[in-house]
Amino acid sequence: MSASSALLQVRDLRVDIGERTVLQSVTLDVQPGSLVVLMGANGSGKSTLGMALAGHPNYHVVSGQALLDGKNLLELEAHERARAGLFVSFQAPPDVPGVKNNLFVRTALNAVRQARGEEPQDAFDFLASAKAAAKELGLPASMLGRPVNEGFSGGERKRNELLQLSLMQPRLAMLDEIDSGMDVDGVRAVVKLVERLRSEGTAFIIISHYLQMIESLHPDAVLRLDGGKIVEEGDMELARSIARTGFKQHAATVGAPA
Amino acid sequence: MSDVLAQRQAARAQAQQLGWPGRRSEHFRALPPPVFERWMHAELPQETASGWTVEQSAGSGVSVRTLNALDASERAVLLAHLPAPEDDRAAPFAWAHRALCTGALHLQVSASAGTAVLRLKHLAAGTVQAPALIVELQEGARLVLIEEHAWPREPDGVAQNLVAHIHLAAGAHMQHLRVVTPGAKDRVAHHVQVALQGKAHYAQALAATGCGYHLQRNTVQLTERGAESRHAALVLNADQALDYQMVGRLAAPRTRHQVETLTLASGKAKSVSNAYARIAPGADEADVFQRLTGIALQGQPHMQLRPHLEILHDAVQAVHGATWGALPEDALFYARQRGLDDASARALIVEGMARAVLARCLGDTLDDAEAPLAQWLDGPWLAEAIAAQWNREPIHG
Repeated sequence: MSASSALLQVRDLRVDIGERTVLQSVTLDVQPGSLVVLMGANGSGKSTLGMALAGHPNYHVVSGQALLDGKNLLELEAHERARAGLFVSFQAPPDVPGVKNNLFVRTALNAVRQARGEEPQDAFDFLASAKAAAKELGLPASMLGRPVNEGFSGGERKRNELLQLSLMQPRLAMLDEIDSGMDVDGVRAVVKLVERLRSEGTAFIIISHYLQMIESLHPDAVLRLDGGKIVEEGDMELARSIARTGFKQHAATVGAPA
Repeated sequence: MSDVLAQRQAARAQAQQLGWPGRRSEHFRALPPPVFERWMHAELPQETASGWTVEQSAGSGVSVRTLNALDASERAVLLAHLPAPEDDRAAPFAWAHRALCTGALHLQVSASAGTAVLRLKHLAAGTVQAPALIVELQEGARLVLIEEHAWPREPDGVAQNLVAHIHLAAGAHMQHLRVVTPGAKDRVAHHVQVALQGKAHYAQALAATGCGYHLQRNTVQLTERGAESRHAALVLNADQALDYQMVGRLAAPRTRHQVETLTLASGKAKSVSNAYARIAPGADEADVFQRLTGIALQGQPHMQLRPHLEILHDAVQAVHGATWGALPEDALFYARQRGLDDASARALIVEGMARAVLARCLGDTLDDAEAPLAQWLDGPWLAEAIAAQWNREPIHG
């Protein structure tokens, strides 16, 4: 991959949570419209990378660099990173008590649109597009009128993340185990949405352990994260090998730390 | 001297004799009211003023009557409906009210095919006011009542001492939204007394802002089997004072009483949420729930949250708790990750929490008859009130 044309450039990123260093040194490039799958055993630092890029205050970037389309992400506030085009889906999306989904998403969407120099969407237009997106994702339209994630099942929370992704059309989306808690139809909806957004130029970093979904996504690269570093880069064969043998045995086979 | 004037003067003397509530009173220790003279002029008002306007948008079987409290016979009707001042530290307010009150509104609702929907507004002239409201629901009657208050702008503020008495006969059902937003210099004391007979259901959601002094004191008597009351209070308090007191008396089997308060305070605000429930001997399977929450938005507000249970029967359920904290950090970051700046994220979440506490009380799924409540909850009031308290632009849906 060519670093100069990369949408996301991460160099030697080191991240601490409290006293603990979770990411030792991560370097990766993601091209516009491409899809990178990030695999790794539990605790290897996959989610930490997402939260650090998103600007979570508990994830302290000690050193390194992260550029999104040439902009230094690490100098931006969390909302400025989102407005610059970074969307990070949450592994466990939280409740936002009492805030109706449609109000939340429209307010966020219009903040992002405003940052892009676009006109805000009025409630009528927004509702029409939100209903269409919800239908495509198998999310009942009634959930648009309910408080964000309150009382939602695990799968519904993930579909709600996809709804926001679909409407916001970011430049780079990092989806953290988006398939967990999803039924078969939900996983199909993920694949379909990712395909569409990729064709429109959105790049993806997908964290997943689910080989069938990874196969369907046709990734450009598969990366293995271990001990806070990217220790291996490959193609679908790497994902298949990990799925077949597990992280430990795969690492032992290739001679890299597990 | 007329009998009425003599009664009023005697009531004033009674209020003075009892001694105005102050720091020595357990109920008022945290937030003592201004002195007696701040609630009462030297001369008792001599002109009748109820100050209430009523608008009915649905239902039938509603009787609306204004009572002239300066007329001996109508005053007798009024007093017959009001319970005698209780022998407690709030009694001086009740006696002062009897001295000052010149008019009242009396609503009677009988059972009919549908739910009656009323909008009630109170606006009275004068710097000292003592409005009164009596609501009676007959057996099986249903009422949605939205009660709002406005105050005349007075340089030194207005002192308002309100008494409301609400009586629900067996099987009656009432949803009551109260919106009380006085000016910064006003002094407000509202005493709402509710009496519920068998299987009556009463829900009150209060949205109130702080002011120079603001007391919201609720007393509910659940006297017969199966009566149920739900109370929610949303307190928005920036640098002002508000004392919310809730007294629930469960005197019969299978009675249920639920109280939830959310105080959003900032700066040097002083807020008290004091919930007391008593389950009497014999109140088998009575059920009490008290949840008091205080969130400091800015500065170092003083918030006192006091859930208090007195249980005199074995087979009951009672849950109570108080939580003092900050806005949920995970929800805040989530909103910011989606592109909202910190101030907008906070405003949206504050508004959501505020709406949720009121909606839970009134019923999360409001049906067509209760549409005015849903419209109010989804309307601009919350966003504008929050914005006004904390001087920022409202976020409208």
